[in-house]
Amino acid sequence: MKVLLARARWAAVLAVALTALGSLLAGCGSSSGSAAKSSATTAELNDRVNGSTYQGVGLTPPQPRPQFTLKDTSGRTFKFGSATAGKPTLLFFGYTNCPDVCPQTLADITNALTTVPAKLKAETQVVFVTTDVKHDTAAVLKSYLGKFDVDLPTKFIGLYGTQSEIDAAQVASHITLAEDGGQTHSAEVLLYGSDDYARVAFLQSTNESGQIAHDLQLVSGVK
Amino acid sequence: MIRPPLSLLVAGLAVLIGMAGLVRGSIPQTAAADSASSVQTAPIVVGGAYVREPATTVNAAAYFTIFNTSDTPDVLTSVASGAGAAASLHSETASGGMKITSAGLTIPAKSSIALSPGKGHVMIEKLYGTLTAGQTVNLQLTFARAGEVLVTAPVVGLLAPAPTATGPK
Repeated sequence: MKVLLARARWAAVLAVALTALGSLLAGCGSSSGSAAKSSATTAELNDRVNGSTYQGVGLTPPQPRPQFTLKDTSGRTFKFGSATAGKPTLLFFGYTNCPDVCPQTLADITNALTTVPAKLKAETQVVFVTTDVKHDTAAVLKSYLGKFDVDLPTKFIGLYGTQSEIDAAQVASHITLAEDGGQTHSAEVLLYGSDDYARVAFLQSTNESGQIAHDLQLVSGVK
Repeated sequence: MIRPPLSLLVAGLAVLIGMAGLVRGSIPQTAAADSASSVQTAPIVVGGAYVREPATTVNAAAYFTIFNTSDTPDVLTSVASGAGAAASLHSETASGGMKITSAGLTIPAKSSIALSPGKGHVMIEKLYGTLTAGQTVNLQLTFARAGEVLVTAPVVGLLAPAPTATGPK
């Protein structure tokens, strides 16, 4: 599988540089530095430098909740903007035959949700948009997402559509367009808060679930 | 009759032993892969191997860390698995994408490379059956210098944490 990493955004570049720096510093401090310690160091550095309290990659400027229309796994029309308005929402583009980043990211989201307060767990919307128009039908998506959300009170929403509809959804979400039949796609998970803006996104990391759990509580006013 | 001084004899003997030592020392360098009785650390050690339980029946990904304990770079040239009819090595490209690593994966001398989500994996395709947590998958890794290395990787549940890799002692 192939994954295109985040857009070349200044803030993202800075955050990545800081993450690398954080890891280096943690490595210098202790030869057996744990992942938790390393991420805390990174978060502290981010806090100090860009004033952000987020553990994910800060988005500057914030991105409004996008409007796009696709179909959900029951075949009904799903208007992302109005259907998820006002609710904390995690939006991710991927495909079911992806063996690597996609299942790991969905597992990280599930693991994050299991650690947040029950009310937030129930109201958080997780939306997975397929980039593989040919293979990922409603039935394939439903079976796939059911492996991850089985113990969650609110089920993941799987969306599919025509190639032009999927492209339009990615453009509206400011995500790099997927290529190679959807197999080269952005690994970014966008988090929209209850104010309908995304101020932070997440990339695959050893502590992605911890970062999502932390920032989800911030954008929903729990913390 | 002139007898050579004892000290000269001892010195000569020392040189001979020293040379023999040098020759002996060079043997494991070239024949390490064939030397079954070698007490040295294996040149390639693989740790933290696991296969993520797949969410589909199409393919699965295996992850591990390769430690090269030798003084020479080695190249992982091919992979095979007992869980599926096809297996290929995928790793991250310079542009942040991921693709089949046809040229092999070089592990620098006295170094290690970790395959982890987003960084690289062995993609197992044409699965022979359903993979579930608790099972194990055999992986055969072939290195240009170290030869074949067999790895037994546990299947880890979809939502379970990844095992951590411990290096050679």
